[in-house]
Amino acid sequence: MSEGIKSVAFRKGREASWQTLEALIRRIERRGMRSLKADELQSLPLLYRSTLSALSVARAIALDRALVLYLENLSLRAFLVVYGPRLGLVAGLCQYFVRDFPAAVRAARWHVLLAFLTTFAGIIAGFLLVQADPSWFHTLVPGGLAEGRGPNSTRESLLNDEIFGHSATSFRQAIVFFANFLFQHNTTVGLLQFSLGIVGGVPTLLLLLYQGLTLGAFIEIHTARGLTVEFLGWLSIHGVTEITAITLCGAGGLYIADAFLFPGLYSRAENLRLKGRRAGEIMIGAMIMFFIAALLEGGLRQWVASTPGRYTIGGLTALAWLLYFVRSGRAAP
Amino acid sequence: MTMATAVRPPKVKEKRSARRDLMTPEGVILPVELAGRGGRAGAFLIDLVIWLGSVIGIYLGIDFGFKHGADDVVLEIAEFIVFIIRQSYFIFFEIVWQGRTPGKRLLGLRVVDRRGGPLLPASVIVRNLARDLELFLPLRFLVVDLIFWSPWWAVLNGACLLGFLLLPFFNRGRLRLGDFVAGTMVIKVRPVKLAQDLIEAQQQFRFSDKQLRAYGAFELQVLEDALRRSPSSDTEALYRDVAAVICRRIDFPSAVAAKDAERFLRDFYAAQRGFLEREQLFGKPRLDKHHAG
Repeated sequence: MSEGIKSVAFRKGREASWQTLEALIRRIERRGMRSLKADELQSLPLLYRSTLSALSVARAIALDRALVLYLENLSLRAFLVVYGPRLGLVAGLCQYFVRDFPAAVRAARWHVLLAFLTTFAGIIAGFLLVQADPSWFHTLVPGGLAEGRGPNSTRESLLNDEIFGHSATSFRQAIVFFANFLFQHNTTVGLLQFSLGIVGGVPTLLLLLYQGLTLGAFIEIHTARGLTVEFLGWLSIHGVTEITAITLCGAGGLYIADAFLFPGLYSRAENLRLKGRRAGEIMIGAMIMFFIAALLEGGLRQWVASTPGRYTIGGLTALAWLLYFVRSGRAAP
Repeated sequence: MTMATAVRPPKVKEKRSARRDLMTPEGVILPVELAGRGGRAGAFLIDLVIWLGSVIGIYLGIDFGFKHGADDVVLEIAEFIVFIIRQSYFIFFEIVWQGRTPGKRLLGLRVVDRRGGPLLPASVIVRNLARDLELFLPLRFLVVDLIFWSPWWAVLNGACLLGFLLLPFFNRGRLRLGDFVAGTMVIKVRPVKLAQDLIEAQQQFRFSDKQLRAYGAFELQVLEDALRRSPSSDTEALYRDVAAVICRRIDFPSAVAAKDAERFLRDFYAAQRGFLEREQLFGKPRLDKHHAG
């Protein structure tokens, strides 16, 4: 009699292939995709598809609940493996740098512009405030960042200790200490800008404005002593990369805020889902730019002690970033 | 009612709120079980311990490695490594282990895309960057508030922190802020073993179609659950009761002996399933005993 029941015959005929798939999945779950041999890897999608179609058939013809539950579970586990992140770490990184990061920045170009304009407004305001009353400097610049520089600094001390100074005793120490501190400081600020985007974007703009104010205050104390050209050269060597990265972090935060505040055609949750990823891609890229900026600042700035040389490097990095963001990955589909 | 919903096995004893449906690119719907909030907190604590443990390990290693006090540069590099571990621990594992950190792996949890698409590295990055805002930033500010500012700021910050922590209790997908932004959710995946088919080769009792029409798919699955119970004196008593109820309902002509109760139920299950599957195949699914026809 049992031969007459379709679901029993169905199960008997296919059980072996389900067990094979289950064994493969268990191995991948424990030891990763690499534990599979080439022929096993080739059979994986075939087994997955046939199990999935078996599930559809079982749902249509079988009233064996244990069987349906088993097939649902096996299909889900296989699905997670087959549609999991497919790229290896290296291939993924390559694709990210060539295509995803610049594309994300291009998608957020208006947010980048807004973030940049906000920073720029901050610079102007900071400059004018300190020009009107030098005591503003200490209000705008935290002590740790000022490192003793301020309205009381003389032209000579700024020139010798800061712009052409050798504060660190060796090249190795300079690159390690200084770069590390700057990297951590900048990354933390960048993360903050991004996170604050999630709560509406206004705090992100304030933080960008504040960063601009600090920079503006610094520029003013140098301008007042006739050191504008030297200071901007000193700044440009790493500043181009660093300020771009800060702007991108802000833009990432604004992109999220935009998705949340003005969802447009989609629901808020859906729009966040769509744009959140883009913002994340921008953020990771910005972190890496901070790292590059820290290396430039810690190492190259001590090493290149002439103002024209510094402008050359600053200009070249600006050109490189511009080309990268505008051109890279455009040809890819 | 469409065919697809009509033939889905009725769900017995399942909390609806804990389930979601994923659609695979092939168009097949797979039900998934959402991870419990306690399990997620547990996984996070395990990860926290591993992560802090590795940081302490690095510093202890340096302490042992350099007997005369470590070089400043070495310490600085160690600090850099610690910073990198802090920022990338979750991201690294969730990308390389397909949505699982060591803590999640131990507890059988997994991050997946809410729409059934592939889990993208960007999603992983976003959901983990958001944790800074949800947890570490308010915590840090809380400490600063208590030391430098008034307790009122601390209350405000604490409320903020509490709001983020309680967010998974106030939405159906148990999503935290990072999940919302990244389009992900956390599910629990437990391997299910294929249970023995209850239908055996030989049947002793026979039933007519009219008798089998008394019940539907729902009752069949209640019977299946009963037949999969582990043997005990309770189970035997249950079998006797159920056999008696079925006999009354279908007007079974001869009495069933107490020792044959399980045999009777197994045979009835086999006959009933064969009948219902045949009916279903002919486009007449019977959901339960109240079903007309």
